[in-house]
Order: sequence, then C-alpha cells, then structure tokens
Amino acid sequence: MKNINPVWRGLISLIVFGALGYGVGFGISVLVNGAAKTSPAGPIPSVFALFFGFAAFFFGVIGYRGVTRGLTWQVIGTLVGAFVVVGIRAAMGLSAFDGKGFFLPEGAWVFGGLVGAISFMFGVGVLSDWVKWARGIETPEEHPQDESGWKKFFSVSLDHKVIGIQYVVTALLLISIGGLFALIFRTELAASQLQFLTEGLNIFSQNGLQLFNTLISLHGMIMIVSILLGIAGITNYVIPLLIGAQDMAFPRLNAFSFWIAVPAVVLLLSSLVLGGFDTGWTGYPPLSTLAPVGMQMFFLGVFVAGWSSILGAINLITTVVRMRAKGMTAWRMPILIWSSIAASLITLTATQFIGLSFQMVMFQRLFGMGFYDAAKGGNPILFQHLFWFYSHPVVYVFVLPGLGIISELLPVFSRKPLFGYRWVAMSSLGIAMVGYIVWAHHMFASGMNEYLRIPFMYSTLLVSVPTGVKFFSWVATMWRGKISTPTPMLFVLGAIMVFFIGGLTGPMNATVSTDLFLHDTYVIVGHFHDTIFGGFVFPFFAALYYWFPKATGRRMNETLGKIHFYLMTPSFFVLTFGMMYAGFLGMRRRIADYDPELHLDGIHLVTTIAGYLVAISVIVFIFNFFYSIKHGEKAEGNVWNSRSPEWQVPSPMPVHNYDKSFEVIGEPYDYGSGDNGYVKFIDEPASNAH
Amino acid sequence: MAHTQDKSSALSQGVIIFVYLAVLTIIEYFVALTFDATGLLIVIAIIKAALVMYYYMHVYKLNSDEGADNRNSYAYKAATDRLGLWLFLLSDTFVFAGLMVSRMNLLGLTRPHLNQALGLFVTAVLLVSSFFMNRGETAMKFGDVKGFMKNTAVTFVLGLAFLLGVVFVEWRMAAAEGLTASFGNPATGPVGGVFYLMTGMHAFHVLTGLIFLAVVWNNARKGIYTAEKHWGVEAATVYWHFVDLVWIFFYPALYLIGKVVQ
Amino acid sequence: MIHFLIVGALVIVVALLTYLGLDLTGLADKMNPVTASAQAVSIDHLWHLEVMVMCFLFGLIMVPLFYSLIVFRQKKGELKDGQYVTGHTNLEITWTVIPLITVLTFAYLGGRSLSDINRIDPNALVIKVHAQQFTWTFEYPEYGVFTTELHLPVNRQVLLKMESKDVIHSFWVPEFRIKQDVVPGRITEYRITPTLEGSYKVRCAELCGTSHAYMENPVIVASADSYATWLNDQAKLAQESQTPEGKGKLLATKNGCIGCHSVDGTKMTGPTWFGLYDEDTKFADGTDAVADDAYIKESILDPNAKIVAGFPSPSIMPPFKLTDDEISDIIAYIKTLK
Ligand code: HEA
Ligand code: HEA
Ligand code: HEC
Ligand code: CUA
Ligand SMILES: [Cu+2]
Repeated sequence: MKNINPVWRGLISLIVFGALGYGVGFGISVLVNGAAKTSPAGPIPSVFALFFGFAAFFFGVIGYRGVTRGLTWQVIGTLVGAFVVVGIRAAMGLSAFDGKGFFLPEGAWVFGGLVGAISFMFGVGVLSDWVKWARGIETPEEHPQDESGWKKFFSVSLDHKVIGIQYVVTALLLISIGGLFALIFRTELAASQLQFLTEGLNIFSQNGLQLFNTLISLHGMIMIVSILLGIAGITNYVIPLLIGAQDMAFPRLNAFSFWIAVPAVVLLLSSLVLGGFDTGWTGYPPLSTLAPVGMQMFFLGVFVAGWSSILGAINLITTVVRMRAKGMTAWRMPILIWSSIAASLITLTATQFIGLSFQMVMFQRLFGMGFYDAAKGGNPILFQHLFWFYSHPVVYVFVLPGLGIISELLPVFSRKPLFGYRWVAMSSLGIAMVGYIVWAHHMFASGMNEYLRIPFMYSTLLVSVPTGVKFFSWVATMWRGKISTPTPMLFVLGAIMVFFIGGLTGPMNATVSTDLFLHDTYVIVGHFHDTIFGGFVFPFFAALYYWFPKATGRRMNETLGKIHFYLMTPSFFVLTFGMMYAGFLGMRRRIADYDPELHLDGIHLVTTIAGYLVAISVIVFIFNFFYSIKHGEKAEGNVWNSRSPEWQVPSPMPVHNYDKSFEVIGEPYDYGSGDNGYVKFIDEPASNAH
Repeated sequence: MAHTQDKSSALSQGVIIFVYLAVLTIIEYFVALTFDATGLLIVIAIIKAALVMYYYMHVYKLNSDEGADNRNSYAYKAATDRLGLWLFLLSDTFVFAGLMVSRMNLLGLTRPHLNQALGLFVTAVLLVSSFFMNRGETAMKFGDVKGFMKNTAVTFVLGLAFLLGVVFVEWRMAAAEGLTASFGNPATGPVGGVFYLMTGMHAFHVLTGLIFLAVVWNNARKGIYTAEKHWGVEAATVYWHFVDLVWIFFYPALYLIGKVVQ
Repeated sequence: MIHFLIVGALVIVVALLTYLGLDLTGLADKMNPVTASAQAVSIDHLWHLEVMVMCFLFGLIMVPLFYSLIVFRQKKGELKDGQYVTGHTNLEITWTVIPLITVLTFAYLGGRSLSDINRIDPNALVIKVHAQQFTWTFEYPEYGVFTTELHLPVNRQVLLKMESKDVIHSFWVPEFRIKQDVVPGRITEYRITPTLEGSYKVRCAELCGTSHAYMENPVIVASADSYATWLNDQAKLAQESQTPEGKGKLLATKNGCIGCHSVDGTKMTGPTWFGLYDEDTKFADGTDAVADDAYIKESILDPNAKIVAGFPSPSIMPPFKLTDDEISDIIAYIKTLK
C-alpha cells in the first residue's frame, strides 16, 4: 500500500470501507425494521456508508491523524450522544427507537449530531492547547512548525496561510458538490414532466419530488457555506500579509473556525440521506416543522457553520485593529480590508439571528414549544423576520469581500490609482449599514403588516446608491489607464459585468408592486445567481489566479485560465438570462415539474446546457489549480508589478511571513505617481513591528 | 481614572456600585408591582446595565493603549484579547436580542404568571455574585491571590445557587403554573416556549461562566496569575458580569413588564 | 474631450439597442402573460419605466468599461502607468446624488403604484379561499357553494379572504400579476379586478411540500351573466345534493380530498379513488387489504397506519378529523366511483 498514490489509496479505502459501512447499516436496518421494510437506498445504510466512507477516505490518504481522527471521533461521539438520548427515552418509558425507518428517534439524531461535532473538534486536536491553558499549562508562544509537504493541510495548523488554503480547497470541494446537485436537478428541469426524479423513486426514504426539493435546498445552502468558507480563505491568507502581520490575532481560534466547518458540512450532507427536507434553504415553518429528520440535520449543520463565521469575523476584526504595520492609517489600508471589515461586522452580529431562528424550529420539533405554530398562538412570520434579518445582510457578506477584490486588483491591471479611494471605502460601510434595515423586502408578499412594505422599499432602493459609487469609481479607474488583461483581470472584468446585471435586477424586485409578480419566480433565481457569481464566484477566481503565485511560487496556466474564462462567462450569461426569461414567462421557483402549457421546455433545455458548460469550465479550473501547483511556470518575483507589500518579497511566502517589518510610506494604489512606493522595509525583525 | 486607584478605594467603589444596583432593582420591583410603566423599567435597566458595564466590566479599558510601545508585551496581547472578548460578547448580545424580539413579538405586553418572590430572589443572588466577582478581580489586580480565591469561591457558590434555583425551582414552579404546556400539552402556546428558551439560554451561559470560574480559580491556586499578568481572571470576570448584564434585561422582560396572562 | 463625445454617443446607442432587444422578447413595455386585471395595468407601467432606466444605466456603465478596455489597453511590450488621477470630489457627489434622486423617485412611484393596486371598492365581491396541501378550495359564503375552480365576474372588484389549513401557500395568478401568501392562523387579503375574460390558473408560489408544483387550480373569468348562471347552478346543486353520495362529494371538495385524489383514475398526489372500494390495496410493507369501510375510515383518521405502495412514508396525507356521518357520506361517494 505504501507506494501507491495517496489519492488512489484514499479512493480504495473509501470504496472498501464505504461498502463495509453500508453492509453494517443494512444489517442494522434489517434487524430493526425487518427485511421487507429495508430499502437498499434507505437512510440507515446510506448514513453509515457516508460516515465510514468519509473517514476511510482520509485514512487512506494520510493515515490515522488530523481529519481522519476527527471524523472517527465524530462517528463515535454521534453514537454516544444518540445512545444517551435513547437511554433517557427508555428510562422515561418512551419508545427508544424510531419506527419510521430512521432507526434513532429525532432527539437522538440531533443530540448525537451535536456531540459528534464537538467530538470532532477534540479528535482533530484544535482544542488541545486550550485544554492545556485551562489546566494552567503554558504553551509555546511561537506556534509549532508544521510538517512539510502536502500532509500538513490535513491536520491542525496554526499558520494563517495554511488555514487559508484549507478553507479555499474546502470551498472548492463544496462548490463541486453543490454544483453537482445543481446539475442533477437542472437535468430534471430540462423538460417538463418528471423524467428521473419520479414519484415512484425511493432513495434515502424520498420519492423523486422530495429528493428534488432536498437537492435544491442543499444546493442553496452548500453553495452559501462554500462562499463563506471561500471568503474566509482569501481573507485569511491575504489580510495578515497586507497589513504586515505575522499571523492572525488568535491563531488557535482561527484553526478552530476552520475545523468546526468540517463537521458542519458533514451534518449538512447527512440531511440528504436522512430523509431529506423539502423547504428550500429558507426552511420556513410550518413546513419545516413537518419535514423528516433531515431537516434537523440541516438546521444543526447551518448552526454549527454559523459559529465558524462568527469566530472568523472576531479574529479578522481584531487582527486588523491591533496588528497593522506602522504608518498604516485607516485611509492607507488596502481597500480589501475595508470591505472585509464591513462584511465581518455583519457576520459577527446578524449570524446569531439565523442561529436563533433555526434553534426555535428545532425546539418546536423536539419539545413542542409552539413558537411558530399558529394553532398554539405562535407566529410563523416571526421566523421570516428573524431569518431574513441575517439572510439579507449575509448577501452583502458574500459580495463585499468580492467587491473589495475587484477594487484591489483593478488599479494593478489598469496601472492607475483607485478612483475615489475614500468613497469606495465608505461605500462598503454604507452598504453594510443600510443592509441591516432592508430585510423585509423578501417578505413583501408574506402577509406581514402592509404598511411596513413602504419603508422597506425605500431602504432597499437606497442600497443602490453606495453600490453605484463603486461601479462609477471602477469605470473611472479604468478610464485613461493602461489596461492589460491577464486571467485575474479578465475575471475582475467578468465580475463587474455579471454583478452589474444582477444589481440592475435588484431595484425591480425592490419596488413592491413589481415584486408581487417577480417574487418566488425564476427572475429572482436569475437575480441572485448574477449577484452571487458577480460578487463572489468571479472575484474568487480572480483572487485565486492572482495570489496563486504568492502561495506556491508558480503561476497558474494562462491558456487554461483563458479557456476557463471564455467558456464560463458566456455560458453563465446564457444560464441566468435563461432563468430570468423563464421566470418572466411564469416559471415558479422550487418546482420539479412545470406546466407544459407555459412552453418553457426550450428555454429550460438551453439553461441546462449552459449549466453544464459552466460546470465544465469549473472543472478546467480545478484541473489547472492542482496541475499548476507542481507544474506551473515558476513565478517568484512581483508577477503583477504590484505596489502591495506581499509582492515586494519573493514567493512563496516564508512560514513566518516577512523577515523584516515594513512601514507604510505612501498610498496603496498610487500607480503612475512616480513616488517611492507604498511600503518601505525597515531593519527590524518583524516580530517587534509596531 | 478608575484604574489608578489604590486597593481600598477600588473596593469601596465596588460597594457603592453594588448599593446603586440593589436600590435600582428594588425600585424596579416596586414600580412594576404598583403601576404599569414599561418605559420606566427600560430606563432603569439601561442605567443598571451602564453601571455594570463601566464599573464592573471596565469597558473603557478597550480604549487604553497599554503596552502599545511593545507589541510582544503581555499588556499589548491582553488588550488584543480584550477586544476579541468584547467582540464575542457583542455577538452574543444578538442571541439575547433575538430572544427579546421574539418575546415581544409573541407575548407583546403580557407576561407569564411566575412567582415574584422567587424572581426577585434569584435576581438578588446573581447581583450579589457580581459584587463578589468584582471584589475578587480587584484583589487580583493588587496581587492578592488569596483574596481572589475567597471571593471567587463565593461567586461560584452564588452562581451555582442561581443555576440550580432556575432549573430546579423556577422551572418546576413554572411547570406547576401550567407553562409546561409546551412540553406536549397544547394549552398555553408559545408562552412556555419563550419562558423556557429565555431562561434556558441564560442558564446555559451561567453554566459556562461557572466552568470558566472554576478554571481560573484552579489556575490561581496553582499560582499562575500575578498582579500584572492575569488576563484569564479578567476574561472570566467580564464574562461573568456579562451574564449578569443579560439578566438585568431578562428579569424585567419575564417578570415585570406587561400584564399577567394565564 | 473626443473620448467623452464618443462615449456619450455610444451610451445612447447602446441604451436604445438594449431597449429594442428587450422589446423583441416582449418584456420591455409590460410584464409577461396578458394583462388581465386593472391592477396589472399599474404594475406594468412601473415596470416599463424601470426597464427604460435600467437600459440607460446598462449603457452608462458598460460603454465606458468596454471603451477603456479597448482604447486604453496596454500595447504589447509597453510598461507605462496610466494617468495619475486619484479622484474627483464633484464627480463623486454627482454620482451619489443622481442615483439617490432616481431611487427615491422609484420608491415614490412604487408607493403610488402600491396604493393604486390596493384601492378599495366597498362593493367588492367577497370570496373565501382555503389553501391546503396541495389544493385550493373556494367558498362563496352567501350561496353555500364550495368549488375547486375559482369563477369570477369580469370588471368587478373581488376581495379574496384567504386562510391556510396547514403550511404557507401563495396565491398567484400570473395574469393578474399580484401574489399573496396564505398563512396559517391569519387571514390575508387579495384584491383584484379582472378585466379580461378567459381561463387562467392560480399557481401556488410558495414551496409547500412535495407536490407544490401541482397546486394549480383553474380560474375562470366570465361575463357577469354567465358568472351569475354558473353560481346559481352551483347553489342549486349544493341544495339538491342531500343524498349521502351528494354530501360526500361536497365534503370531498370542501376538505380538499379531491386535490390529491382523482375520481377518474388519473394519478395525482394520492392514489385515485376510482375503483378503490372493495378492491385490493397493496401497502408499502408488502401486505395488502381489501378497501372496505373500516379501512377507508382508518385511512382518513390515521393515514400513517397503512401506507399505500408507491407513496412516501410518513404519509403526505394529513389526518382529518371528520365525524362518523361525514366519513360514511364520503364512503358512499367513493362507492359511486367505478
Ligand atoms: C450576493 C448577493 C446579493 C446582492 C448583492 C443583492 C443585491 C440586491 N438585491 Fe437581492 N437577493 C439575493 C442576493 C443578492 N441580492 C438572494 C440570494 C435573493 C433570494 C433569496 C431567496 O429567496 O432565496 C435575493 C432576493 C432579493 C429580493 C427579494 C425578491 C423576492 O423574493 O421577492 C429583493 C427585493 O427587493 C432584492 C433586491 C436587491 C437589491 C435592491 C440589491 C442591490 O444591492 C443592488 C444594487 C446594485 C445596483 C442597483 C447596480 C449598480 C448601481 C448603479 C449603477 C447606480 C445607479 C442605480 C440606480 C439609480 C438604480 N433581492
Ligand atoms: C454560490 C452560490 C450558488 C452557485 C455557485 C450556484 C450555481 C448554480 N446554480 Fe444555484 N442556487 C443558489 C446558489 C448558487 N447556485 C441558491 C442560494 C439557490 C436557492 C435555493 C432555494 O431555492 O432554496 C439556488 C437555486 C438554483 C436553482 C433554482 C432551483 C429551484 O428553485 O427550483 C437553479 C435552477 O436552475 C440553480 C442552478 C444553478 C446552476 C446550474 C449552477 C451552476 O453554476 C453550477 C455549476 C457547477 C459547478 C460549479 C460544479 C462543477 C464541478 C463539478 C461538476 C465537479 C464534480 C466533481 C466532484 C464532486 C468530485 N440554482
Ligand atoms: C395532501 C394530499 C392528500 C389529501 C388532501 C388527502 N389525501 Fe388521502 N391520501 C393521500 C396519499 C399520498 C395517500 C397514500 C398514502 C397513504 O396511504 O397514506 C392517501 C390515501 C388515502 C386513502 C387510501 C387509498 C387507497 O388507495 O388505499 C383514502 C381512503 C384517502 N386517502 C382518503 C382521503 C380523504 C377522505 C381525504 C379528505 C378528507 C383525503 N384522503 C385527503 C394524500 C391526500
Ligand atoms: Cu401550496 Cu405551494
Ligand atoms: Cu435581500
């Protein structure tokens, strides 16, 4: 086994142990439910196969340590937690097991899932230093050197650069999984009537319609989590470099934020096999109080993932406030920092609301507390307020860092200062602040107090103003520049165009009376794919192409990069224009089958094909990414001829970042001014920087 | 400024603040019993919160530039940690704010029927515990580890009493009042849900606070804190007062404002 | 200067072309399907205005972007920097204030349009709407009529008072434009003045469970006369149906059973009732039973007790609290379906 490629080793153990887990699950299922009631694609065999397979894959790749140990502990923790509940139920004289095919009762799944997530953290080893502190044992100030080579990415590392890459790769993995789900349900949507997600289907205790709903809902949430992780990845990697810090303010918390996302994702995915849920990513009650156990796993997964973003935001803000290089005053910070801070402020505060709203549904399901149960005097619309109080601002969490990346790269490739730096910086804060008070624009048709719709219409439209400032400033930055278009710049331009289309469809959603038509149609689906791709996906790719040489000392392949861009951008426009057009013709959201009388078959087919083309372009990217790590063209100098500090030292970045600390002596984007640059290195070891 | 006092004046400041808080709580209680003045109750709660934040939790320290001349110094690092802690508390505030919003939405200006004497009693217990916590921290600030341990032990016992009081007495009495409705018996709707979730979430924070106190107490016993270096103690203190701060708002929200419903 | 002139001209050209392009798809001057209500007219106006402004903005950003990209690109081998300009306060103020005014205008017009579509006619016809997974039932309170098709007279304001039995649904007739959620525990209102005779569909627009896609019922807008005739017929039918079968049929409509169970053998969310009675039913666990009175009663009161083969578990069908008399009426009705 030793000299086989680790990836193959992983896949082999995935298959072997996945099958083993499946067998065990099948056996249990037969024992508990009887052979007749056990379906081959039933929840128990699948959940065992999923858990075993995951853990075994990593076992094959790196052996028993890091993630593997975490996942093993998660499995054990889940079982222990679950059986505690089973025991308590048995002691209370309640039915200990579940008769509906899920083996364990709902409470056991939930508690088991929670204990499992915590066990993961102990198993993977992020908590060990804190445990030492709690016992009064000092840990070394300098964090320990990671092992060399790729294996360090699979275990806990305290180095912000390693964590950044861990985040980015996880995000790419999630985009692939979410994208795969999208391709599955897009295929079903290519024609009216049900083709393969039929009512007769029975996978994971779901018929085709339920599975379709599960897939769209998970697509939505997995993509959103992938965005949050992708952003965390970029900011983690880049921001300490931009401000000249050794690391983030709290390296252990940083590792914690990353690793907690892993069990969260496992929980999220387990909802697919535990009966799924049919509510969309919004999980509105009362529907979500009726869905199968999968619903609880979804809520729990999102809740745990929420902690990852909250703690990440705390870390980021503290780092920026406390650890900037000498001379880096507020108005001389790189612009990406402004937007990341604005986004972090939102994450820090609003995330608690979605956590709470989900918890309340969980409690309602577990204990019958009737928060959202109208029959008991609860209020289903309260959930929507709590939910959107987070979920609207979070769309600006998705885009603000992305817009920051645009503003960061545009001057480099236009060879011109960022036009109106202060206005652009303030517009980020403006968007974030106004973003707090617009949430009810998702609820214009919800039956909330009618008069509230007017103030929310005003506030929503107001967001366009600071966003507009960014667009105009970008255009003015390019005007009379000396523009070159390597791959990162292409993605920046793509981002601007795509986000612009998405943004322009915003105001028509915001005026109440037109929204009463557009709400819950594919127009909205088109709107947000545009804003999300333009505000996150395109800038994310731009950032990866741009900072790749910094991380690896090699460039990504330009030709493949261009293929990626020129394939993705047009197909993406076709995808979203197709969505919007279908929406205008009356296509509702979240339906697997549409009325043939609407004559939507043609447009849906085109949309599906476009979706596949986008997927192919992403596969090209993923190939390029892993290929270039080893085989890319060497690029150790200032590849993009940037003023930014991280490019003034050779790539790849050494473990402890800068050897010498620097002082800020100019403006970050003063290209063409002929001054002495943005930063000056001073002869002082970086650890004593001030 | 408060942080350049000598020990006895620091301690007596703690006493004075405690007296203010106690008097305000009593006023609050009688106001609520005699007439319907939600606005006044909110004002009192805010004043109490401000007193706790300033004198017990030392928010102003966020603004200090201790250790700025050497970024590797303990003081500079502690100040960084302090910012992190406060950001965490800010975030946590939003959980409680969300609960408050839900409470207002679901119950409006009504409140569950609860035992007033018990409510006032647990509130007093928590307040007194904050007072001892403050004494403990002050002792540590002047290097008095023994004093710290003594006061923290008292705090711990009071906190434990609060926790047990809520879970084993208050919840049982509430259940007797019919609030268990939520556990399977669909009679009183979300009232029980709101009550259990608010007190439960707060109790959970008390529990974590107790664990935190136990940890710093044990570390103090091992002698790893000094007058200059005791960030762990400060963090535990601030966290403990934060739990008290939340109760300053939850107590009137659950026990005092609005009309009783049954 | 010449750059500005060219760009200015191009902006106008591109804006016009965008508008014309949208017009080709038929989306520029009104929203899609036919405009079939008075309220839709006002919404379409607002829409048209927004489209025009968006087309202009599209040109305004895209033209200078592409223009710079082409004209100000770096020539091969050239390593110069661009012109050193860091900002321009007056420009910034301009492009803050003008969009501000624009959006405020939108908001104002949006408010106007909203009050237009909410204008109340005191003589509005009141119809009750009951939503449930996965069908709509309409009640004409003054006539005791229950139907699963919504009939409306043309050119008269109707006020729908909507209630949901289970989860949130949303009432949407695309031709009327407006959409309104139906929420359990409260009554939401939907005001509409149909202006165009024809038959449409109300399509549930809020995800309400697996068969959300199929929660579509016919909406028929007819002249005042034919509406009155239809209503009278229905009222008569309701009165005459005093037989158990007749009452059963009415109950099946009222309770929404026929939203999931077809009576002619076609497959819907639930198994068809056609030929159900006294025949063998196969269950998901492999057993089977004859559909007699006791079985049907059990199916209604506790749908989870036995799941019909091919249908998901737990049952999608909610338990119904019906009296014994009502159940025997329904059974009498099911018996007729052969
Ligand atoms: C990245 C995410 C992102 C971003 C940035 C935005 C940006 C905006 N969104 Fe979007 N939105 C979503 C993601 C996003 N949205 C998602 C995910 C949903 C659906 C959720 C669900 O239901 O599942 C949604 C749904 C949604 C709705 C609810 C629709 C419905 O369900 O009925 C509304 C309604 O107002 C809305 C409005 C807006 C507005 C006004 C903006 C503005 O911020 C746009 C501002 C930008 C511009 C306007 C362009 C540039 C400006 C200028 C050039 C200046 C001049 C402009 C003018 C004078 C107008 N969005
Ligand atoms: C980051 C956010 C994001 C991204 C990137 C996408 C990407 C895509 N989305 Fe998604 N979408 C959402 C966020 C996102 N979406 C949200 C929030 C919803 C709302 C959900 C709800 O209503 O509840 C939604 C809903 C949604 C719908 C509406 C469903 C419905 O209402 O019925 C549709 C329909 O066409 C759709 C399509 C697509 C397509 C074709 C892509 C394509 O771009 C996907 C392209 C494919 C890839 C990027 C993957 C490529 C890689 C591989 C294929 C490799 C696979 C290999 C391995 C796994 C090893 N999405
Ligand atoms: C939400 C959709 C839905 C509604 C509304 C509904 N049913 Fe059902 N019904 C189902 C489904 C799905 C099944 C099959 C699964 C099962 O056996 O529970 C079913 C099964 C049945 C059966 C057993 C049929 C057989 O083939 O053996 C009967 C009888 C029945 N329903 C009667 C009713 C009556 C009477 C009403 C109204 C008072 C009603 N249903 C309303 C979905 C529905
Ligand atoms: Cu009813 Cu969707
Ligand atoms: Cu929004």
